[in-house]
Amino acid sequence: MSGMLGSYLMLAAILFCLGLYGALTKRSAVIVLLSIELMLNAVNLNLIAFSKYGVVPGLKGQIFSLFNMTIAAAEAAVGIAILIALYRNKGTANVDEFNEMKR
Amino acid sequence: MESVYSQYAWVVPIFPMLAFLVLTALGRQMKEVGVWISIVCTFASFIYALLIFIERVGSNVEDYTKGMDWIRFGGVHLSVGFEVTNLNALMLVIVTFVSLLVNIYSRGYMKGDERITVFFAYVSLFTFSMLGLVISSNMLELYIFWELVGVCSFLLVGFWYQKPAAKAAAKKAFIVTRIGDVGLFIAILLLYVYMPEHALDFASIHNVFTQPDALAAAGIGAGVTTLIGILIFVGAIGKSGQFPLHTWLPDAMEGPTPISALIHAATMVAAGVYLVARTFDVFHASPDAMQVVAYVGGFTAIFAATIGIAQNDIKRILAYSTVSQLGYMMMAIGVGSVTAGMFHLFTHAFFKALLFLGAGSVIHMIHQQDIHQMGGLGKKMKVTAWTFGIGALALSGIPPFSGFWSKDAVLAAAWEGHKGLFVVGIIAAFFTAFYMSRLFFLVFTGKPVTAAKDVHESPPTMTIPLVILAVLAVVSGFVYTPFNSWFGTWLEGTETVEHANYAVMAISTIVGLLGIGLGWLIYRKHAISSEAIAGKLPWLTKLLANKYYIDELYHAIIVTPLRAIGGALAAFDQWVIDGIVRGVASLTLLTGRASTRMQNGQVQTYGLITLLGCVLLIVAIVGRRLW
Amino acid sequence: MANIPILTLITLSPLLGILILLFTPANKNRLIKTIGIATTFIPFILVIWMFLAYDYSEKGVAFEENLRWIHMPLNTEAYQGQVSSYFIQFNYHLAMDGISLLLVLLTAIVGVMAAFASVHIKKRWKTYFILFLLLEVGMFGVFMARDLFLFFLFFEVTLVATYFLIGIWGYVGREKAANKFLIYNGLGSALMLIAFTLLIATAGFQVDQSVAGQTHLSYSGDLATILQNLIQPSESSVVLSAGMQKTIFILLLVAFGIKLPIFPFHTWMLKVHNEAPPAVVMIHSGVLLKMGAYGLIRFGLFLFPQQTESWATVLAILGVINIIYGAVLALVQKEFKLVLAYSSISHMGVVLLGLSALNEIGLKGAMFQMISHGLISALFFLLVGSLYERTHTTRLDELGGLARSMPFMSGILLIAGLASLGLPGLSGFVGEFLSFLGLFSEMKVIAVVGTLGIILGAVYVLRGVLGITYGPMEDRYIGIRDARLIEAIPMMALTAFIVLLGVYPTIIIDPLQHSFEQFLQLIKVGG
Repeated sequence: MSGMLGSYLMLAAILFCLGLYGALTKRSAVIVLLSIELMLNAVNLNLIAFSKYGVVPGLKGQIFSLFNMTIAAAEAAVGIAILIALYRNKGTANVDEFNEMKR
Repeated sequence: MESVYSQYAWVVPIFPMLAFLVLTALGRQMKEVGVWISIVCTFASFIYALLIFIERVGSNVEDYTKGMDWIRFGGVHLSVGFEVTNLNALMLVIVTFVSLLVNIYSRGYMKGDERITVFFAYVSLFTFSMLGLVISSNMLELYIFWELVGVCSFLLVGFWYQKPAAKAAAKKAFIVTRIGDVGLFIAILLLYVYMPEHALDFASIHNVFTQPDALAAAGIGAGVTTLIGILIFVGAIGKSGQFPLHTWLPDAMEGPTPISALIHAATMVAAGVYLVARTFDVFHASPDAMQVVAYVGGFTAIFAATIGIAQNDIKRILAYSTVSQLGYMMMAIGVGSVTAGMFHLFTHAFFKALLFLGAGSVIHMIHQQDIHQMGGLGKKMKVTAWTFGIGALALSGIPPFSGFWSKDAVLAAAWEGHKGLFVVGIIAAFFTAFYMSRLFFLVFTGKPVTAAKDVHESPPTMTIPLVILAVLAVVSGFVYTPFNSWFGTWLEGTETVEHANYAVMAISTIVGLLGIGLGWLIYRKHAISSEAIAGKLPWLTKLLANKYYIDELYHAIIVTPLRAIGGALAAFDQWVIDGIVRGVASLTLLTGRASTRMQNGQVQTYGLITLLGCVLLIVAIVGRRLW
Repeated sequence: MANIPILTLITLSPLLGILILLFTPANKNRLIKTIGIATTFIPFILVIWMFLAYDYSEKGVAFEENLRWIHMPLNTEAYQGQVSSYFIQFNYHLAMDGISLLLVLLTAIVGVMAAFASVHIKKRWKTYFILFLLLEVGMFGVFMARDLFLFFLFFEVTLVATYFLIGIWGYVGREKAANKFLIYNGLGSALMLIAFTLLIATAGFQVDQSVAGQTHLSYSGDLATILQNLIQPSESSVVLSAGMQKTIFILLLVAFGIKLPIFPFHTWMLKVHNEAPPAVVMIHSGVLLKMGAYGLIRFGLFLFPQQTESWATVLAILGVINIIYGAVLALVQKEFKLVLAYSSISHMGVVLLGLSALNEIGLKGAMFQMISHGLISALFFLLVGSLYERTHTTRLDELGGLARSMPFMSGILLIAGLASLGLPGLSGFVGEFLSFLGLFSEMKVIAVVGTLGIILGAVYVLRGVLGITYGPMEDRYIGIRDARLIEAIPMMALTAFIVLLGVYPTIIIDPLQHSFEQFLQLIKVGG
């Protein structure tokens, strides 16, 4: 059964990397947010995979992933709200235009 | 016999010290009184020194030593004290006597100078230091006073401090002698390390170095003895203006003339000779060191004499003559005769002081030091001329003047076993006679130079010391002649058998007369034109007039490189050392700036950097495990 | 006398002045100056009193005050009841031995003189004197503290006070100089702190089982404890490895070497000499530099005799480099203050030379040289301050012939110069002679090379001093006046001290009678 774990982890890793790539390179803030969701989901996948095939199988991982989803939803909501506010202010959703933190 | 006066010999230097303190504290308010304080104090010193001297002359008086701790801790005892022996009783008299005469003379010479009390304060301080040097009972104490006389010499050479030449001369005098002093300093360090119980007093030095067993027991080998001897001699070279550290002495003539007489002719410059005589046992134990002393002395004698021929400044001629005569003294000690050296020191003190004071009398009148600007002064300044003439004859070694006897003693000592040095001495004697006659005839005879009109004799306060010194220049030689060896017996404590060496006497007299005759022919009769000789040997004249370019040489090989090194090091300090510091500082700043650059407000850049950081961390952790 | 906490009184007496000054209106400058100067006399009188009361023949420390100060319990859970207490303790521990006594005396003297020299300060007198007195507290504390923490505290007090004194009242480049001073010395302090922490954590660890059944563990900064643990380790004490000892020794060497300063850490003090107000330089050159040497003796030499011994040659060579490097550079400076700065480097080289001899003569010579240099450079900068007031420059090429218009100050300047170049009869000679004598017994060649400094010393001092006083005088200096009474008093006093030490050196050598005994015995045993 442990062979299955490898596949899950591999998939999760690929998903994570895709998400990371997107988060770091895409200019559109919406896509960046989407990419972050992707990374979170990769983590969820890991959690579930370990809870099923890990050394000490149990429910902890699955519960955690539920938490994670909630947080991801909240994060997306807040993120998009900030994005809209910024868009209203700046008239663009490009991430590289947002450097307010510098000042 | 118990010595009575010697027990209180310390009062001899105390009087001038008192004068110095009083003059320094209250000097400005009391010009005339201040001068008298100085004179009276010196006179008191002289009387006391004379008492000690007379007591010691009387019969076999024991040496008297007394000391106390100056610095002590643990096993270290550095003491100060005083010692009275025949040698330094003699020196006490010479120093106090010449100092007294110079004090009296200066009253006239320095009249009207607004800093006259400062002058007398310095002279008193010098007299104190010189007397302290003379009665010092150990090497360290001697070194202390040795430096103090050096500083007084410096102060007095630079007395007219506004003249740039005086400033330069004072500086040079101090620095050049300091080079020698360091030699003496190291010699003292060596003595301290090697002497049994770290004793530095002369009595112990005498005991150790006169006994080969003691030397061996202390672990002092021949090499160390020679080293100590030569290092002591280096100190003497600096102080006594021996080649190659002679250059300061002629320059020191920038000081007031009485000072030249006191410090740079009679007393301080002779301190080097005194030092070598005092530590003669060290030299005696090392033939090599003796050779060095003898040959340096001999070379200096002839070297300075030749320069003296081509100088035009009256005081500089006398200065080179002093250097040359000090060379004689060193040579005498180097060939083994302390008595001859000290005897020449004794007579030289009188006749050279006389010559300087005579020159001062002339300068005081015409405010001019170039002998070609003088002439015919003999008619107007009879006392000066006569006394100067006596001094010149004494210096030239014409019998029966004192210089003849002492120079004869030196030459006779050289004759025994050092024929080469004897020849050198004879040639130097010829030159000496020649330049003295040149000096005398140019200054006192011939046509008066128009510039000097209102010339008359100097005041009695100046001429009386001249006369006294002139008398001494005649008679002081009789204490030690081939027919009367009292001086030698008294000084060395043993019966010295003096062979009357008539050949030496005859040769030196003839040579002296020849020199004078030649001078007479050229500068009085004008039978031989001096220009013609100079024209035939232009390079030689130039070489001599420029003092063999020694100053220029030193400037080129010491001063300039030192400045260059200083400049280079300054640049090094500023650009390399401080540069590194500044570099480190700016590197820190740069790092700070670079990291600010990273903080550009772009979220994605931050993310990327975080990622890179994570990767590095992982690589590090994994890599370390793989290691 | 035993009941009076005299050490605390000396150390904290300047605080009294600070207190009074705080309630003085800032515009009454005459009053402020009077209070400032008067306050420095309190410790001065107390120190003189103590100096006279000090019994030289008594071994070790003659005065001591030890109070528990910081006591911080640590978690004993890990020992599960085997340990009754476990804590860090720093004491308020002041003590006075010969070495401290001399330096405290120097501080008190220079403090009074510098307070006099402060009359040339032009602004913000109140703040100035408060900081000045604070600096004095720090210096006294440094020389008396026998606890590493306390020492560090006082050391930092001097740093901060000096920083402001330079930065506010200095000349044109004052801010830069102050920053450089702070950074360099801060670096030194950091290294010192590391070394101290290491010491407290290792040699400061103590196991006390004197009461049966109770075990007390403690970390202590007490110098006596640390010394005991290092020199005669008991079974329970932490033994430092050779590498650790070496590390700590080097850290201390660099830390105090910056202060001393040892080549190549000297560039900061040039700026300070040049830019700080002369009154502060008097303190700085006169006392603060000595803190470096003092620290080196107290912590470097005394705690690590074996290390010192193996580093002696290096120290000696560094000393010679200091002497010659400083002297050659002093030779080419055009600014008189820089001549003095480099001469300080040269003279502190002599101190290093004496220390590296590791024998009684050398060590005492080094101590003497420290005191003597403190007095001489204080005198020099006293003169520089008064000179600058009149000429508004201290550049050698712009000065000359001043002996005519101010004979008194020129005379004093000449005496200071002669003392500095080591003329016998003045204090400089004794220190120099003893240092060289000490080293010569151990390392002949190095000592002989060092004597070159004696010649060069004469050259640069005369160049500097004669450049100012001798020669023709420029017309613009005709009107200037000689020293006023308030300037003349400290000049004469310092001169008197310099002459006194030169003529009768035993007066300050006697208190050192037993100071180096333990150290020398350890060296002997180790060697």
